[in-house]
Amino acid sequence: MRSRSNFKANASTMLSVLSDRQCEEIVMAAEEVLERTGVTVYDDEALETLKKHGCWIDGNRVRIPTALVERCLRSAPTRVTLCNSRTGSRDVLLQGNNAYFGSGSDTPYTIDPYTGERKRATKESVGWACKVLDALPNIDFVMSLGIVQDVPLLISDRHQFEVQVLNTGKPIVTTAHDIYGFADIIEMCEIIAGGEEELRRNPFMTLYAEPISPLQHAWEAASKLVLAAKKGLPVVYTPCVMAGGTVPSTMAGVLVNGLAESLSGLVINQCTREGSPFIMGGVFTIMDMGTTIFSYGSPEFNLLMAALADLAHYLKIPMFGTAGCTDSCVVDEQAGIEAAISIAMTAMSGPNLNHDVGYIEYGSTSSLEMLVLCDELIGMARRLTRGIEVNENTLALDVIHDAGPGGHFLTQKHTFDNFKKEIYKNRLFDHQHYEPWKEKVNRPITETARLKAIDIIENYEPEPLPKDVQKKIREVVERAEKRAEL
Amino acid sequence: MDFQKLAEAVVEGNVKKVKGLTEKLLSEGIRPDIILNEGLLKGMQKVSDRYKEKDFYIPEVLLSSRAMQAGFHIIKPLIEDNSTSALPHKVVIGTVAGDLHDIGKNLVSLMLKSRGFHVIDLGIDVPPEDFVEAVKKHQPDILAMSSLLTTTLAIIPETIRLLKKEKYRDKVKIMVGGAPVTKDYARAVGSDGYAHDAINAVVVALDLVKS
Repeated sequence: MRSRSNFKANASTMLSVLSDRQCEEIVMAAEEVLERTGVTVYDDEALETLKKHGCWIDGNRVRIPTALVERCLRSAPTRVTLCNSRTGSRDVLLQGNNAYFGSGSDTPYTIDPYTGERKRATKESVGWACKVLDALPNIDFVMSLGIVQDVPLLISDRHQFEVQVLNTGKPIVTTAHDIYGFADIIEMCEIIAGGEEELRRNPFMTLYAEPISPLQHAWEAASKLVLAAKKGLPVVYTPCVMAGGTVPSTMAGVLVNGLAESLSGLVINQCTREGSPFIMGGVFTIMDMGTTIFSYGSPEFNLLMAALADLAHYLKIPMFGTAGCTDSCVVDEQAGIEAAISIAMTAMSGPNLNHDVGYIEYGSTSSLEMLVLCDELIGMARRLTRGIEVNENTLALDVIHDAGPGGHFLTQKHTFDNFKKEIYKNRLFDHQHYEPWKEKVNRPITETARLKAIDIIENYEPEPLPKDVQKKIREVVERAEKRAEL
Repeated sequence: MDFQKLAEAVVEGNVKKVKGLTEKLLSEGIRPDIILNEGLLKGMQKVSDRYKEKDFYIPEVLLSSRAMQAGFHIIKPLIEDNSTSALPHKVVIGTVAGDLHDIGKNLVSLMLKSRGFHVIDLGIDVPPEDFVEAVKKHQPDILAMSSLLTTTLAIIPETIRLLKKEKYRDKVKIMVGGAPVTKDYARAVGSDGYAHDAINAVVVALDLVKS
């Protein structure tokens, strides 16, 4: 190209729901909610801190001046990095429109990949899930894909974290019952990282916490925001709001109410320690007015998540998104379609840390079959997002001329040099001719996905933690068990 | 050792290396048909295996095929001078009358050449009479016909009927291919072989000349 003055290009496919002015209106509306209506906070230390920073406190009710919200928006880092616990590699850069994908955490049930039976999740099932997550190439981070339920309930979060970190090196977004569980998990992470500062510099774990809609920060949640800030570790704070149920039925109203919850969480976190890494988020969706489920597959869910991404980009706060999930109770056509829409829209709108890949039954059950299918969908969505590059090489005038009418491009060097970069290589989905398919495959893709999950469980070995580190982690779990017995 | 290197250079699709190694082996006095079988064709066999394992894609197969043919070009005149024929198998190939689609046919033709077949390509839009004429003239082991349009499929049985009438059907094996062709169709029209893609076409052709 000799000259291309004033040339603007789309470096990716574009998807946005809200304009900057619409974002501004929604943010200001959320700030108005915080000043006028306020939120409730059930943690004494958080209340004390908020008071010191100029909030108006009335019992547990807290009203937050806009100036404070805006100061906290400025003090929170615009980017958060998560690392691989084995290699230390800084793989997940939560910033701008980078979209990463990972699973979800606390489903009571999971589908047994061998029998197809829906059963309670166990330490073994979570271990299997983490192995599969570790092996899949398009999965960037890990959540447990089940609540460990075959250990004492009071300290099951320690077991859940232990089995996760033993089976994957990818960054972990973890839940904890309360700050005591969180403190034990942080201790395990510090053992692995080799110290408190090492973990803070290269975090491979972030805690997941959520407010209770509408506009309530329970003790469990608020105290986690405080502890994460004190430790200087990232925390995901994720309102799960249902239009028409816990928030208004209008989509803009959902965003205002959900955002008010995120921003008040941000204020608790930043007032405890300025500059703490904070990830806003959510699952913003509808209550199904026919069945009352919290929908993981409705069109409004997808629309709200893309709109929330616009808001997070506008505010320059890293965002926790939701994709690769379904309301369907089984891995069927509905599951595939709902997952495909959410994954494609998420890849294109660019929220940063996108969870719940592998959820079925409106988030009540996890499925490795679904997870493996979604891994392929993420690969496809990333190709969609990459868009079309237009330059001298890609316009390909010389090779068009060389091949000429009736020629072909298969033996052109240009084809060889470019096809791998341009054409997505499917790993799972079938593209065979009918006859070889009939002869060698002859099964639906869900079955292929199930077999792949089993193959990983049986034949893949994640990079282990050093033996002495494993032992020290075990000691933290056993200490918690002993304390629980007292 | 050098045969293995030559085969590896074919797998890499490295034209320069293949040419250099072929010339080196010739200068060492190795017989050209041995260079072909132990080096160049062994390399293409590996390429074919990797394609089957989904490790190689069509452009990579073709790059290797191009490298193989660069080596073959050097030894070809020597083989033709030699009384021992290193290219024992002949194929006449073409796209049937009424059809100008030839990318599939060209691919098959390329793949056959790179696996040591002597290929006579009649091009596109070939009527039954021309196919039969070519069979009479070249006496190939295999006649390969391709059709992409459903409207031109019927030329295949028509050609086979004409071959029978001219009493040449028994003297040649027939392979058919192209998007609308299926295994069942291939059998129904009385052909001897069918493959769903170019790489498998070579496997079928090798089978046909063996039997």
